[in-house]
Amino acid sequence: MGLVRYLPTPSDRMGILWSLLTVDGSVILEYGPAGTTHFSMSLYGELGVDQQNRLFTTHMSEDDVIMGDVSRLEKALVEVDEAYHPQVIFVVASSISAVIGTDLKGVCAYMQERVKARLIAFEQGGFRGDYSVGIQEAYRLLAQDVVEEKTRSGGNTYNILGASAGCFRMKSDVNEIRRLMREAFGMEMNACLCMDTSVEKIANAGEAALNLVLREEAVPAAKIMESKCGTPYLQGAPYGYAGTLRWLEAVGAKLGKTVAMPLKMELKKRAMEVSQYRMYGMMLKEFKPQAAIFSDAPVVEGLSSFMGEIGFPVRQKISRHSLRLYEAPAEDLKYLSDEKDRIDVVKSLHHTLVLADDVSKRLLAEDNTYLRVSMPLVDGAQIATHMPLMGPRGADYILETVEDYLNTLR
Amino acid sequence: MNGKELIERMVPLSQVESMKQVAPLTNAMFPGTHCPLMGAAMAVRGIKNSLIMIIGTDECAYYTKHMTIHSEDFGGLGGRCVSVVLDGHDVTFGCVKKVEAAFAEVMEEYKPQAVFLVTTCVVEIIGDDMDAAADALTQKYNIPVMAVHTEHFKCENHLPGLERTITACFSLMEKRPCDGRVNLLGQRMGSFADTELSHVLQNAGVKIGLQLPCGCTVDDIREGAAAKANIVVNEIALPLAKKMEETFGIPYVFFDRFADPEKIAACYRKLFTALEMHLPEELQVLEAKAVEAKQEAAKELAGVTYIYGNTPFRTFELNRFMVSLGMVPQIIQTSAITAADAEDKAAILEKCDPYITKTANIAPLQYVYDELHPMLYLGHEYANRLRQKGIAMVRTDGANSLLGYEVTGFAVKALLTAARECREIRKGGEA
Repeated sequence: MGLVRYLPTPSDRMGILWSLLTVDGSVILEYGPAGTTHFSMSLYGELGVDQQNRLFTTHMSEDDVIMGDVSRLEKALVEVDEAYHPQVIFVVASSISAVIGTDLKGVCAYMQERVKARLIAFEQGGFRGDYSVGIQEAYRLLAQDVVEEKTRSGGNTYNILGASAGCFRMKSDVNEIRRLMREAFGMEMNACLCMDTSVEKIANAGEAALNLVLREEAVPAAKIMESKCGTPYLQGAPYGYAGTLRWLEAVGAKLGKTVAMPLKMELKKRAMEVSQYRMYGMMLKEFKPQAAIFSDAPVVEGLSSFMGEIGFPVRQKISRHSLRLYEAPAEDLKYLSDEKDRIDVVKSLHHTLVLADDVSKRLLAEDNTYLRVSMPLVDGAQIATHMPLMGPRGADYILETVEDYLNTLR
Repeated sequence: MNGKELIERMVPLSQVESMKQVAPLTNAMFPGTHCPLMGAAMAVRGIKNSLIMIIGTDECAYYTKHMTIHSEDFGGLGGRCVSVVLDGHDVTFGCVKKVEAAFAEVMEEYKPQAVFLVTTCVVEIIGDDMDAAADALTQKYNIPVMAVHTEHFKCENHLPGLERTITACFSLMEKRPCDGRVNLLGQRMGSFADTELSHVLQNAGVKIGLQLPCGCTVDDIREGAAAKANIVVNEIALPLAKKMEETFGIPYVFFDRFADPEKIAACYRKLFTALEMHLPEELQVLEAKAVEAKQEAAKELAGVTYIYGNTPFRTFELNRFMVSLGMVPQIIQTSAITAADAEDKAAILEKCDPYITKTANIAPLQYVYDELHPMLYLGHEYANRLRQKGIAMVRTDGANSLLGYEVTGFAVKALLTAARECREIRKGGEA
């Protein structure tokens, strides 16, 4: 990877931070220069994650770097424990502590005797991959170290695994899943890894009847919980109308339940209605409808599936992060590690419905139609928590842009 | 957290000679200080036709670019802030080749007149020789390429980043015949054109030359040595001013954002002496007004207690000024103590001996407020949270565009407004 003109792909460390910042009852202590922590504030504020009394830094001096002195970290751990009484302190490495090889796990092991909070070390300093690697590690360690070994009660709750605060509209998506699960099965969410959740909820996650795994990065966590608590999991996410119904039916099959009839009928009706878009496409003479999608891999896959429902071929499927953790990604799903290659792809698009991020938007030719479905944000803010990309509400929202797009082709 | 214990950890000003003796309020800080990388970006923002190339982790590159995206000076998203992101391979085997390859792309696409190669913590640890790389790139592309080192583990805040970027500009300068202008060095925020000092110079017919880093071009920097004198409005520009004095014989006048009229008067005198001009008459009126504002404010501010955070003013000079008004500092937060602070520090100690601690750690301060009950807080904090504790916040960011006697008027007005607000809060039972 050469020159980066715009925003680089966030690192594993950044993914860890935005995941853990959503866990109430915990504190993150960064072992590294204070400037990185301060600098991060505007991004995490933009992602809608609260840092107040959740995020602290030890700073590091030259002496600490040269001599490997960790007394500053030891004192900070005791202070945070006594002052804020968190249930868990996540000790997160910086690029410096990672490069000089600070043994954070070792420090946490011997400091555990001196503090009440459980200490969990994250030794990634930004060099083990992009945020896809970071969020996987966050989910995995939460499942391994925070989820308690409980036998599932067979109750009426489920967990969501794989919600990422770094994913555009994720709060809205979680709310849409909650609405669907309530209407379809009368079930309520317990823990959500990682969005607006708490140590307590994650600790009790084993009581849930099912884990809904929204992205592949959360599969290792789901497997840990399956073996630890016997909780089954289902991988996938509800996109589009027919897609949402398929997903709900798969959830029902796992639970031994059937989807509530009113919701099922509504989804079937909407799926029938949107099949008409296929005909619109055939009627157009000069330009046929087509889409390009740039986002997190599961979003690209989900939205591609919805584009399939309305008969729009997806010409470009570009993941925002590396696919190395994905066992069998779709053949046409690509990750372009060199920014220049991404720029070339975006600039090559014409008369296309482009579901992407604001950086891509700035590079697009005017004859395209754009809808934001991905971070990073450049031209706006993420405010609503009721405007998902998932579920029928997400499909309704996307269709409004589809209508605009079709007008440009007529 | 126990406020009394936190207070016991702090040392009084009288026992402190250097920053090594100043303890942070806690070892776990939030939000912590800004880093010199941000300082470097702030400096490059004001130097048109130049480009900043950050060499560091994705995180350092991301946050810096994120900061510049909405900056018109930087040119927004597609603007003149780019990066070379290092991975594990680069950390092990070095990153110079990668930087050279990226630089070639920069030259082709951006065509900058000067480039600042800004290294971050990791580059300094792995020890890649970016000074040599910058020299080689200068030779190859025939444009100035300057390495700026911004490792945060060797300094307290972002100011070294500004200082090193400004100082690096010296390499662009060459001897020029003097044309009588003055350069303005070190203004990092606000507009110089709006300041009293600017108006006074304009009225006296003095031409303003290079304004570094608040607004200049690479060519302006090249012409910098044509000045009759340099006005240094912040310590970050002192190393550059000293180099210019040594090399080109250009004198400098240290004219920071002083609050005390006496200090300001001395600055004006030194400046017009350096310019070999008479002191403008209008300054007498401005000085008298500032002195009167100070005297009037003292009547109302005597006995007002405060905690000092971070402001656009010089820490110890402003505290000395406030102490001279009869105000009572309880804690002074600072990120630096220099030899230049000695006189102000001694003057403060003649009247009181406040605690001293490091800046940018507001989380534990909440517990200290409950013990010390200050009336005012100077610096960035959450105003509503302060009000609930009966404390008024003194808003000082407006001082960024001030220089000269106007600073006195602004400072006393901000202090009076906050003191009155505090009394109202406490009267209303919000404390």
